[in-house]
Amino acid sequence: MLQDIVNIVSGGSLYCLITLGLALLVGLMRLMNFAYGELIMVGGFAMYLLRDEPFVVFVGGTVVAVVVVSLLTERIAFRPLRGASPVTLLVASLAVSIMLQNGARMTVGPESRGVPPSDWLQQGVAIGGAQVPRLDLVTIALAAATLAGLTLLMRRTELGIQLRAAAEDFEMAGLLGVRANAVIASAFAITGVLAALVTLILIEDQGAVTATVGTGPVLIAFVGVVLGGMRSLVGATLGGFLLGAATTALDVMLPNELSPFRDAFVFAAVIAVLAFRPEGLVPGRAERLA
Amino acid sequence: MSGLALRTVRAVWVPVVLIGALLLAAALVSANGDLVIERTATLLAINLVIAVAFHVFSGNSGVLSFGHLAFVALGAYVCALLTIPANLKASLFPDMPSFLVWILDVEMGLLPAALLAGACAALLALVVAPTLMRLSGLPAGISTLALLVIVYTVLLHWEEVTRGSSTMIGVPPDVKLGGATAVACAAIAIAWAYQRSRAGLRLRASREDEVAAAALGVRVAADRTRAWVLSAFLAGVGGAFYAHFITTFTPSEFYLEATFMIIAMIVVGGLGSLTGTVLGVVLITVLDDVLGRMQDGGLLGLSLPAGSAALGVAIVLLAMLVKRPDGLTGGRELPLPPPWRPATPAGTGHADAGGSGDLESAPSISSAR
Repeated sequence: MLQDIVNIVSGGSLYCLITLGLALLVGLMRLMNFAYGELIMVGGFAMYLLRDEPFVVFVGGTVVAVVVVSLLTERIAFRPLRGASPVTLLVASLAVSIMLQNGARMTVGPESRGVPPSDWLQQGVAIGGAQVPRLDLVTIALAAATLAGLTLLMRRTELGIQLRAAAEDFEMAGLLGVRANAVIASAFAITGVLAALVTLILIEDQGAVTATVGTGPVLIAFVGVVLGGMRSLVGATLGGFLLGAATTALDVMLPNELSPFRDAFVFAAVIAVLAFRPEGLVPGRAERLA
Repeated sequence: MSGLALRTVRAVWVPVVLIGALLLAAALVSANGDLVIERTATLLAINLVIAVAFHVFSGNSGVLSFGHLAFVALGAYVCALLTIPANLKASLFPDMPSFLVWILDVEMGLLPAALLAGACAALLALVVAPTLMRLSGLPAGISTLALLVIVYTVLLHWEEVTRGSSTMIGVPPDVKLGGATAVACAAIAIAWAYQRSRAGLRLRASREDEVAAAALGVRVAADRTRAWVLSAFLAGVGGAFYAHFITTFTPSEFYLEATFMIIAMIVVGGLGSLTGTVLGVVLITVLDDVLGRMQDGGLLGLSLPAGSAALGVAIVLLAMLVKRPDGLTGGRELPLPPPWRPATPAGTGHADAGGSGDLESAPSISSAR
């Protein structure tokens, strides 16, 4: 029982992190970024290349690699398209995603690459008689720390205030002296950091990375953002957490013959939410997304 | 120039030219006799059917669908189940659920099976239409994507009926250049007839301004549903022909990368234009094929790494979105030939919702009469 609860909370925490990274850009520039999944793929390959390095280099190198690629996609693909319609941005991000995926296929190779999981993280910890994998606890702690950090950043720093202002009304923020390029670039950098954290947990759990490893997470993030309402980070946090918790719970609860169809149920729920509550569960203050 | 002649030319000019060019190209290819080129041309014709299906909905409504490959996949699987020889089917699907067991004895020809496959896709479209057709813009994109994920998940895991991730085999290889070209021509004619019909014009009006069209009495959701169902039917037929062309496939054949390819064709050609759709299919199919063959070392002795083809298409699409977001045609149709072209050229372009001769503005056409 306790084990199930930890499982569900850690599933929720991971999905929450996945969703947050995407939600930042949706709120700021209405970019539903397919290429977000490929940031995770890039992180995975960085982990593969750095697998024998000391821990600090391993984690640091992964974060830096993802942030650099995230900034590059902004500079090369999304900056020239600033102000385009959300659907155009979605198509462009799909193109970027295919580029990165096939770029990886051409360089690192089409096969799956193993990243040896750490023994320490895979071990169970005994809590109240139940065995709980340490990775689950680390995931929950990491998500909590990230949420706290992001809240502080958004509420207390100059950059956070600028980000929130730009998300509220981009043009007005510009008139008041917020530098568009700098704000958007920092949002892409933050997205990169979040994607790197997600990668570390996800690849540690899966033990291998392929060129298409990002497809699953990016679809999860789409759903989480839609569920939570596309305008607010609080909504995305909640949407991601609920989605992760529900998915993990469905895994436990669905009868065996239906459990492979889990994703079908989850995405049917997405259509239902969009059709009947297009603003999501937590509507933002601003107008409905057209 | 008499009004009747002008109206006739306006009514048939675009499909006549497109179909004529297609038939000419097919004749040249089959006279040339090179089997590799013939295979590419056949694939191109099938891509045309699928892209034209996509155009019927997205081009006319302006709502970009990420879900059409769901209909293509459904068409391919339904058609395969109907046409695989009965003796083979029994061994391929030993665990067929009892309510579908009758399908093991069915052995249909391609054409009736493809029409049934299209009908199944249209039925699925009709079932989801009440929820999906209320949406526009980003929510519409995401929910059509959700439809694709649902169909993909079901195809991948309903192993008793679809063989899941194991390859579907035993589909008769009976789609050749002639058949594929005929279906592509039919799809172009149907798409044109629809976009010139009253329902098509209403939908195109709602694409330009949803609120204004609704204010003029257009029931946007109902008109979108018509286009959506017709489009799903064509996509299902396209999928059926695709199945009989490649003969072996898995559900991942019809997922995000294929979706990306079709969207690339439409966007590069110019969303909203049938001419553009055809142009985009030709360009992207040829680009993909040439890069794909360089990848395998079959052309110029080059051997590019695997993935170059998709990478090339992605770069072209991205460059197009940045430099010419309206595509090669700018969303317009083929201009009328000079004798029918009015003396004073071009107004602002997009005003003519009929889609024919968009380069001429409406007033100058009426003065030519």
